[in-house]
Amino acid sequence: MPHTNKSHIEFHVSAFVLGWLFPGLGHIALGQKRRGFLVMFGILFLVFFGVLVGGIDAVDHKHDGLWFIAQVWCGPVVIAIDLLNQKLIVPLPVSQRATLVGLSHANEIGTLFIAMAGLMNFVVLLDALQAKQNHDLERRCADNTGADS
Amino acid sequence: MLAWIPFLEPMNAMQSIWYIFIIPMSLGISVVYRSLRESTYTTYWRSVALMTTQIVLGIAAIAVAIGVFVQLVIPLLN
Repeated sequence: MPHTNKSHIEFHVSAFVLGWLFPGLGHIALGQKRRGFLVMFGILFLVFFGVLVGGIDAVDHKHDGLWFIAQVWCGPVVIAIDLLNQKLIVPLPVSQRATLVGLSHANEIGTLFIAMAGLMNFVVLLDALQAKQNHDLERRCADNTGADS
Repeated sequence: MLAWIPFLEPMNAMQSIWYIFIIPMSLGISVVYRSLRESTYTTYWRSVALMTTQIVLGIAAIAVAIGVFVQLVIPLLN
């Protein structure tokens, strides 16, 4: 019988924090390992592509502040990229920065990839916040099969 | 492109094919979203492929519709 009493919903704040520290870690901590690894793969794939296309300049909290709000939901990975950008590229003179800063579509696509990764990880964090302990996809599937029979 | 340093320098050579990147973007989004929504792994990658295709075709259809509107409908208004 499905659990319908909403007053008994558990909130896993630790899973939420772990999921922010590293994408997918929240679900892994809850025993949903396979889902956690798939989330980790998907989020890191988007961040990887974003930095590959836009360079580390794709994350810039000073010049792209609104985008950074979306990107930062990926956690310390994105903050580290921003720190690298601020240390390596921003202090350089304009003539040297020109080859390291993304132009037009390269910057837009790179920034968008990492922003999408951040927003998707926010959805994942909300799921981890109220996910059931050890309720992995196989178990859910087995539960559904048992309920049908 | 010869002196391109991946991850440090942006991939400026992709300027003319930027729209191709909708495919890896929708793939990444689908991998994450379907991992939360799918009830079994046996159909997981099929669902990911289906959702990726739906996003790409949906955005392509919107692009065609906007193109038709701008190229054909707006000139008729003048």
